[in-house]
Amino acid sequence: MTSGRLTVLSVLVAVGAVAAYARLLRVALVRNHPEAYVLAFALATALAVLALVRARRRRWPALLALGLSGFLLAAGAWFNFVVARVPDAPTALRVGERPPDFTLRDAAGRPVSLAEYRGKKPVVLVFYRGYW
Amino acid sequence: MEIIAVSPDPNERSQTLAEGLRLAYRFVADPDLAVARLYGLVHAGGGPDGQDVPRPATIVLDRDGVVRWFSVSRNYQVRPDPHDVLRAVRAL
Repeated sequence: MTSGRLTVLSVLVAVGAVAAYARLLRVALVRNHPEAYVLAFALATALAVLALVRARRRRWPALLALGLSGFLLAAGAWFNFVVARVPDAPTALRVGERPPDFTLRDAAGRPVSLAEYRGKKPVVLVFYRGYW
Repeated sequence: MEIIAVSPDPNERSQTLAEGLRLAYRFVADPDLAVARLYGLVHAGGGPDGQDVPRPATIVLDRDGVVRWFSVSRNYQVRPDPHDVLRAVRAL
């Protein structure tokens, strides 16, 4: 493949990975494998390196592609493997046991506790970070 | 089945979020992470300003209040597949 084509392919893979991840975030298979975007950026970087190596006349397109994909790879890897990491630690959760009861207030100010659902209906408890 | 969403977000913000997304969750506020701590679900210093934040987790309790399934994420971009959660609820 020519340097030009490799450059274009590199940019397409890099930008395509960003767009695809953003667009398909609601699909669990995509959302739950964020390392896939890091892999895509690595591929784009490799393509840009190849483009640079094969460049005969103008090198700047391949250099730009390398800059773009390299930056995305560094930023993506940093985010996925460092920033987004949640440390593993033992929880109070055990299948077959009741978790601690609690009482917290809902948006209307009403108290909500797990005990009020016992004997009535199943509960799905979702803890999330907030700060949106 | 009741879905209860717990976070340190103040209730006004959760309510706005719920209305914006038109969810039928019950949002409850756990502002000092007392409940998250009780459950062992605190990520110390994990917040954008270095504050403690909850570890994202989904827990399925049966009608007797017993844990039947749970998932705690090691990467905050990752959430349990809704199909897995549904399967766990249907198996109750």
